[in-house]
Amino acid sequence: MTREVFIAHVEREQEALRGFLLALCCGKKDDADDLAQDALVKAYLSCAGYQDKGKFRSWLFKIAYNTFLNHKASLRCTESIDEARALVSSTHADSEFEHQDLYLALRTLPPKERSAITLFYLNGYNIKEIAAITDTSEDAVKKQLSRGRDKLKEKLKL
Amino acid sequence: MMKDKALEELFLAQKPHFSDNADFIASLTKRMDAVEYLKQHQEATIRRYKMMMVVAFMVGIISGAVSIGYVLSTPADEPLFTFQVQTGFLLWLAENSRLIAATGLSLLMTLGVISIISNVQDIQHMRACLKA
Repeated sequence: MTREVFIAHVEREQEALRGFLLALCCGKKDDADDLAQDALVKAYLSCAGYQDKGKFRSWLFKIAYNTFLNHKASLRCTESIDEARALVSSTHADSEFEHQDLYLALRTLPPKERSAITLFYLNGYNIKEIAAITDTSEDAVKKQLSRGRDKLKEKLKL
Repeated sequence: MMKDKALEELFLAQKPHFSDNADFIASLTKRMDAVEYLKQHQEATIRRYKMMMVVAFMVGIISGAVSIGYVLSTPADEPLFTFQVQTGFLLWLAENSRLIAATGLSLLMTLGVISIISNVQDIQHMRACLKA
């Protein structure tokens, strides 16, 4: 895949990818865009091995998902401080953030449940596709979706 | 598995829209340029390493062949080198010149092999970094 073709594909898919990462980062746009760029650079470096079977978006999502998990793992130590800070600030800045409630509820989910829920409800993937993107079994995805849905409904009082 | 209607509607209603798509692509293009530059630099380094390895190999082969040829061409019962000044230590060196030359050659060959292995490992590491 040439650079021009890659950029053309990315221009088409970037909104979906950024939306996915924005949900995973619970509304932190700068973090989400940084991760999206990292994931796209990784995709560009490995696009020689990509075989175009019309699944470019799933392939990108898989790379983005792994990039997100690596990022989470590297931030494990500071995460609790960041989350506490975000929760404190959210009481003052609710009106400043669009979709604050949903993002605050998503923040309470573990990364894998958050990913499964986002892929299922926001991006419209089915269980088989989510299992392929997250490299897990379909049963595990079903459990993550079920648990995540219950927690979200409880938090959002749906 | 059935979708929860309320959750689905919430997610779809809050689907984000981005107004800075052009900036995002411009920023991505810059990152890709930087990565390509680094990649080219690393590939050039790998090529240089390979060249150095070939040169080291050739120098080793030629100097080894010349040294062994010289050692074999001299009579076995005569020392390889002698000294003008006859002191105890220099005399000992001259008497054991063949053994010393063989040890020196072995050391050189060992160093050469270690250097080649180290270069190969460096190249493999750089390739892995490029792929990651």
